[in-house]
Amino acid sequence: MIQTDNLYKQYQMGESIVHALDGVNLSIQAGEFVSLTGASGSGKSTLMHLLGCLDRPTSGIIRLGGEVVSNLTDKQLATIRNQRIGFVFQTFNLINRTSAIENVLVPLVYTRKSFSKKIGRDALARVGLEKRAGHRPSEMSGGECQRVAIARAIVNNPQLLLADEPTGNLDTRTGEQIMDIFHELHASGMTIVLVTHEMDVAAQAQRMIQMRDGKITNDAPLDTALRNELLSGSVPSHEGTFQERIERSSPPRPEMLVPDPDPQT
Amino acid sequence: MFHLKIAMMAIRGLRQNLVRTMLATLGVIIGVGAVVSAVSILEGAQRDILGRVESLGADRVLVFNGSERRSHRATQVSSLLPEDADKIVEENPKLILSVSPQYNSAGRTKYFQKNATGVILGTTESYAKINNYNVKHGRFITREHIRGSAMVCVLGHKVAHDLFGDLPGVGKTVKINGKTFTVIGIMEERGAIGFVEVDNQVIIPVTTAMGRMFGARYLTMLVAQCQNAEMVPACIDGIKKTLRASHRIRAGENDDFQVFTQDQFKQQLGQVATIFGVVLYSIAGISIIVGAIGIMNIMLVSVTERTREIGVRIAVGARRWDILKQFLTEASVISCLGGLLGVVCGWAIANFLSEFTQVLQIYTPPTVIVLALVMAAVVGIISGIYPAIRAARLDPVQALRYE
Repeated sequence: MIQTDNLYKQYQMGESIVHALDGVNLSIQAGEFVSLTGASGSGKSTLMHLLGCLDRPTSGIIRLGGEVVSNLTDKQLATIRNQRIGFVFQTFNLINRTSAIENVLVPLVYTRKSFSKKIGRDALARVGLEKRAGHRPSEMSGGECQRVAIARAIVNNPQLLLADEPTGNLDTRTGEQIMDIFHELHASGMTIVLVTHEMDVAAQAQRMIQMRDGKITNDAPLDTALRNELLSGSVPSHEGTFQERIERSSPPRPEMLVPDPDPQT
Repeated sequence: MFHLKIAMMAIRGLRQNLVRTMLATLGVIIGVGAVVSAVSILEGAQRDILGRVESLGADRVLVFNGSERRSHRATQVSSLLPEDADKIVEENPKLILSVSPQYNSAGRTKYFQKNATGVILGTTESYAKINNYNVKHGRFITREHIRGSAMVCVLGHKVAHDLFGDLPGVGKTVKINGKTFTVIGIMEERGAIGFVEVDNQVIIPVTTAMGRMFGARYLTMLVAQCQNAEMVPACIDGIKKTLRASHRIRAGENDDFQVFTQDQFKQQLGQVATIFGVVLYSIAGISIIVGAIGIMNIMLVSVTERTREIGVRIAVGARRWDILKQFLTEASVISCLGGLLGVVCGWAIANFLSEFTQVLQIYTPPTVIVLALVMAAVVGIISGIYPAIRAARLDPVQALRYE
């Protein structure tokens, strides 16, 4: 589904150059539920933007479903974002002036085909909000807003759902509801990449990728034992100790281990 | 279909921000409204004056007292004599049908307690014929009245009504500026001839006016009626010749009178209208520019305020062109709406002024409406293009992070 080769992304920040991504090699299969964690500044958001075709890498190749997307035109990228990718954001990013259903229908406008409002209502039904279709974001709770945002992300039936801290602005219980929706979507065959720094959220994925300073430092599937450990809170930090936990609980599969991009260090 | 959807989205966006939309349109409303109302009034006035000029008749030649230029200062010269009227007809029999001499003054006409103030016109029997202006009751002044400087008068329709109401006035005695006159006739209702409201006018023999009443030597003007409109240039030559001889002007000296025709009035009117037009359209241009700046301002604010929305739209598949179109549509809708409202407001203001003053005539030319709307649309696109480009150029990653 997703494959990246030697992905680099650099920003000019005043005088200095920030290496946001520093050689990322990643492969995600169709139907996987992956969580992407790391401290702020680790490059996880940058990676997500690149996977979401919102940005282009400085160098390296991104393949989506076998197609190289890192050198497509703006127009082609817009079509891919519209039809193959769904975005969920921490701050929902709904258009406040319009109703829930209007928000959900926004991607369909840019699909350039005629559509019926029913598609939007179906998407709202999938997140359990069909009764709130006419309400505005200001009339809904945070959890409801995020569900509308998810409905918007899935209205075009994308293969890939990218979520950037989707529970970051929500309380634990509402966050759990949102995670339930992600599980349902995953069960229906959607590939999900979830960026988070909350361990209990990250632990709900099938596979966890950890980033630091623009590099992938850990990439391993989560089995029940490790998941329980993460969920019980006995892992104090998602850095450092995580590696040891993985090694202890399950021997890493060789193909999952990331080769050290810079052997000198 | 797709473009329609973008347009609908833009319109919906504007409706949801009604106050701001109205504020943005205000500049254009005022600009367009000012133009439409001013043009309506100007055009109405021009038509009114033109109508009056045309009511003089194309076959008429007006002769006024001239002016004399002495070292940069022009002074009015009185030169037209009562006998010039007869001389002109006598010396140009094939060209000129008749000439009416006119001496104008103002005065108060009294009948017991009733008063009427207006123009006192001293003229001859030819006045009625030249202007095709007839008596309703009684008769008009005659040659005999002229010759005898008779103390008789013919009242305009409104004067008669003011003095006598519905009672018959012919044969009654009235006082004009304290002197006693017998009413021999009452004119039909006519409104205006040229620039004079003749219904307010009292007509007396020219000899009576100049002699017994006001003690004047010179006429105010002469009105000559030519055989037909084509002969007007020849008539002018004839009139000039007669008058120069009558006033003993030597060759090389300037005329001491001025000759006007309907065409000359029209030309002068055209010049005045052009000057007003230039001033008006300059003001219009400035106010439209102000309106355009207003729209651009609001659109820039709107783009900044909706940075995240733009980010989201790009993230869900909007192309840069789509964003550009959305904002350009918004700006155009704002200015076209302003244009429409401006036309309505301008038209309403002009008509209100016309109703209120009862004097102004209003004419709104269709071209000015079309022009105003086209201007508004152009303004919308021009003032929207920069903000729209800014919106379309936003980096989605930055836009989504924008606080």
